[in-house]
Amino acid sequence: MKVPISWLKDFVEIDIDEHQLSDKLVNCGFEIEGIIYLKDRIQNVITAKITKIQPHPQADKLNICTVFDGEKDLTIISAAPNIKEGDIVPVALDNAVLADGKKINAAEFRGILSHGMMCSGAELDISEEEFQGAGIDGVLILPKDTPLGEDINKIIGNDDIILDIAITTNRQDCNSILGIAREVAVVTGKKLKMPDLSYKEIDQDINDILKVENENFKLCSRYMAKAAIDVKIEKSPAIIQKRLKAVGIRPINNLVDVTNYVLIEIGQPLHAFDYKLLKGGKIVVREALDGEKITALDGKEYTLTSKNLAICDEEKPVAIAGIMGGEYFSINQDTSSIVVESANFARDSVRHTSKQLNIRSESSQRFEKGIDFLSQEVGLNRALHLLDKYGWAKVMKGVIDSKQREIEKQTIQTTFDAINKVLGINVSKEIIVDILNSLEFVLQVKDHELTVEVPSYRIDIEGVNDLAEEVIRIYGYSNILPSMLENARMTQGGKNTEQKRMDKIKSILISHGVYEIVNYSFISPKSFEMLNLNKQNPLRDAIKISNPLGLDMSVMRTNLVYSMIKTLVSNITRGNKTLRLFEVAKAYIPKSLPLNELPQEKSILCLGFVGENEDLYSIKGVVEDILATMNISCEYIRADIEYLHPNRAADIVANGKTIGYLGEVHPKTLENFDIDKRIYIAEISVDYILENALDFKPFKAISRYQNMERDLAVIMDIDTPVKEALDLIQTNGGDILESCEVFDVYQGEQVPKGKKSVAFKLSFRHFERTLKEEEVNAVINNILTAFKTINAELR
Amino acid sequence: MHEQIKKISLAVMEKLKDADSLNLINDIRVKFLGKNGEVTALFKNLKSCPPDQRPKIGQLINDLRNQVELAIKEHENKVAEREKNKKLAQETLDITLSKKTRKVGALHPLNQVIEEISQIFIGLGFAVKDGPEIELDYYNFEALNIPADHPSRDEQDTFYINDNILLRTQTSAVQVRIMEKEAPPLRIICPGKVYRPDDDASHSPIFHQIEGLVIDKNITLCDLKALLDNFARSYFSSQTKTRLRPSYFPFTEPSVEVDLSCAICNGKGCSLCKGTGWIELLGAGIVNPRVLEYAGIDSKEYSGLAFGMGVERAAMIKYGIPDIRLFYENDYRFLKQYR
Repeated sequence: MKVPISWLKDFVEIDIDEHQLSDKLVNCGFEIEGIIYLKDRIQNVITAKITKIQPHPQADKLNICTVFDGEKDLTIISAAPNIKEGDIVPVALDNAVLADGKKINAAEFRGILSHGMMCSGAELDISEEEFQGAGIDGVLILPKDTPLGEDINKIIGNDDIILDIAITTNRQDCNSILGIAREVAVVTGKKLKMPDLSYKEIDQDINDILKVENENFKLCSRYMAKAAIDVKIEKSPAIIQKRLKAVGIRPINNLVDVTNYVLIEIGQPLHAFDYKLLKGGKIVVREALDGEKITALDGKEYTLTSKNLAICDEEKPVAIAGIMGGEYFSINQDTSSIVVESANFARDSVRHTSKQLNIRSESSQRFEKGIDFLSQEVGLNRALHLLDKYGWAKVMKGVIDSKQREIEKQTIQTTFDAINKVLGINVSKEIIVDILNSLEFVLQVKDHELTVEVPSYRIDIEGVNDLAEEVIRIYGYSNILPSMLENARMTQGGKNTEQKRMDKIKSILISHGVYEIVNYSFISPKSFEMLNLNKQNPLRDAIKISNPLGLDMSVMRTNLVYSMIKTLVSNITRGNKTLRLFEVAKAYIPKSLPLNELPQEKSILCLGFVGENEDLYSIKGVVEDILATMNISCEYIRADIEYLHPNRAADIVANGKTIGYLGEVHPKTLENFDIDKRIYIAEISVDYILENALDFKPFKAISRYQNMERDLAVIMDIDTPVKEALDLIQTNGGDILESCEVFDVYQGEQVPKGKKSVAFKLSFRHFERTLKEEEVNAVINNILTAFKTINAELR
Repeated sequence: MHEQIKKISLAVMEKLKDADSLNLINDIRVKFLGKNGEVTALFKNLKSCPPDQRPKIGQLINDLRNQVELAIKEHENKVAEREKNKKLAQETLDITLSKKTRKVGALHPLNQVIEEISQIFIGLGFAVKDGPEIELDYYNFEALNIPADHPSRDEQDTFYINDNILLRTQTSAVQVRIMEKEAPPLRIICPGKVYRPDDDASHSPIFHQIEGLVIDKNITLCDLKALLDNFARSYFSSQTKTRLRPSYFPFTEPSVEVDLSCAICNGKGCSLCKGTGWIELLGAGIVNPRVLEYAGIDSKEYSGLAFGMGVERAAMIKYGIPDIRLFYENDYRFLKQYR
């Protein structure tokens, strides 16, 4: 909210500068978003006297003017018809900035250099009311006694300083000059001067000419109206115009300006309509009929529904409640009698209607934030005071005040200790009383007890915590001294077992040279096509965001593989060609669609490898290492997955349950991503691993005796999985087989067609004694005999 | 006999002088001490001596043998040492070269920051908690004292799935879920992903927050101040200070914004802190008694404190990262900087 300091001074004395004032406001809860100096809008425009005017030799309409700035002569080329020698005028010099932001530079006009430009009132954003002569269409002629070479801002009184204050949503009572002044008074120790609300009334009574029927107290808790006759429509005086412009509102005419002025000053939106256009001498506050139409002040026609509150006459809507008046009923040059409305409309109703119809106004913004019950009366009287003061209208006596009930005064019963218990420091009784009094709370103190009557505009105050906040924000947060949970009980903190297991998995991945990535949780629905998923694949059942930022971020991902491939691809195209990446994140699996309960959020580990030295076995090695460290035994079973190479994909199966897969990405999928590198992918259920991991196995004694190693080179059918041979070695290895691994697989010239040579390294060891050759030989023979069942033999 | 002993002794010394390899030394050993060696021969000749002199001469031959053995051994050690050094001298490598080996990877910088901050609070007895990212309106708003018509809902745009289900906008959503399940005393932090429809250099539609919550009897603003001071000093530097400013959040009362003294300029004013010397990093406050009541905790008996911070912002400040989108591009050259 923009607050001109000069306006604040109407209600509170300010004897500190704008920076000190800002600091004080920050310390009591108002963030200052900026300090605006009005003079910064107009830069490098000075006063100068025209000493000579000659016609431009090359242009009929241009004159060459010599102007004197008090020190030197300048040349200004001008087409203005209203200037004469001896006039004092505003001159925008080279690099000047005008009120609308336009920059002026020295420039040549048909061969003659002009040092700048003479300015009109409009270019300085001042009206006739603000400065005599500013209203004419031409250069602003300044009074004869204007000093030369002076900054124009000084001459036209453009010197206000404006604080741009962020008002938190609980302090709607500060969305006005008066509200901020009230806070300033408290933090500077000055007295608040209330605005003048007095005015004369004539004998005619509004109740004789107008009836108000409020059909909806829920959406309109109070509807006040006063009437005035003999209305004069004219321009507002300088002070109103200046102030409205300072807060960003364009002055229009005195009546419109007064409603806007009171809106900013008191925080109460008002609305004025032409009385004689109201049919039936009455105002009805009601829900609109479905399909009812109104053309608003912005010239657009809106179609209302029964969810919109309307202010109507006997026949049709006069205004969209709290948002905008109807064009037909608006103040115009022929208006002679007016009704001024000051109402309190429910914030959610205004918000809903404003959203539905897509109109916003100063008024709707106030109502959406919520206004208090008392400001209707203050706002209405303030407007009438201004109408009366400037002689713009005669106010009729009587008032229409339609409300369901009087506002109840809120009181809070508490103790001084209770306030200090929230703060943790000991603020004295006297200070607490002083602070709350200064904030217009009405107190009754009895020993340690305190009864607090809350000012009606402070609807944010509900209990002792709120009072504690009021005390400390005025007393000062610098008085809060640290005490590290001195009165709290100790707790058992730290990570739980699953969290520690997750950390271990990640550290294993890191030691394998894998980098962690973090991707968006929402992806494009096109991802399913990119992955060539079957139409029936349940992964397509993704949760849709109803208001996404775009199609690319519109569905919650059901796996991590699409994001992983995309990340690999974007890295490859940027020249990062050798990469190992992993992500641990949620996949969002709906129980049913559309969603009627929270979905399952499944934790998944996704790996993605690319690079010259990577193959299926390198990614499988890392997966095996994780599973082995977690003591989960798994089988790898050939899998059929749409986006994986048909012959290079495996399901990871633990205890009969598929917990993930790994494989090489299908060339067709890679084509979709426009990439020709081989990419290796794995996805594993983190939930399964964390739940089923074993942190350590029972201790196993180590044999003290020497082992014996044997290498076996075996010729077997190319299609027989090596796993079958390994299983036979295991089952026939007896107690003495310690370990067995494959160290070479060969197919080619040295072995017959359709065969492969596999080399195994076997290690034998006895627990209690040194092994004998014969014992090992016997086992080897058993293994070789068993190999016959799979058509494998020693090479 | 004496003559002979002396002669052999000299001969050994003489031969050893020229023996510059282990093989030559071994030859000498065989020549004198071997089965048919000269010293061995002396023992064989002993029986030709008169019996009364035999013990004495025997003793002399023994001494000779010991002396020869020692001399050979010493020389042998010397030569062996020389040969080892020679071998080492030949084994030169250019230590400026490296072999291509697999280098370690790294956690994503955001998760490194989460881990670092988590450890600061774990040290103070905090447990690490988690909650759903697709959340009920109730936990994200209503139970945090943000009813449907609350004006602060407008300020905080939200991704909705439907009227009742949304993507959580704040990790505060975990607060009530945990309080419903666990009894005080509670000290928890909840790191996690949150979502809001903003997308520019300082806003990402998905970002991370860390929420902190302490519930017990007698929790005050002074406890909050101490916890945040400790965090600021641990995460940034021992010089970092905190400043509390009054603010407003529906779920805390009193509410504060927490500024940290700028880590770059130590409060003198720089471009990071826009000349103010302070950086806004956290929102915090005393848990609104209404929130405790929503969670079924007696607000007469218990009080609490809560704080929340943006992880991206904490990381950007600490590492000087200018654009939030870098975190989600996952460019290897970016990730590699945070090993």
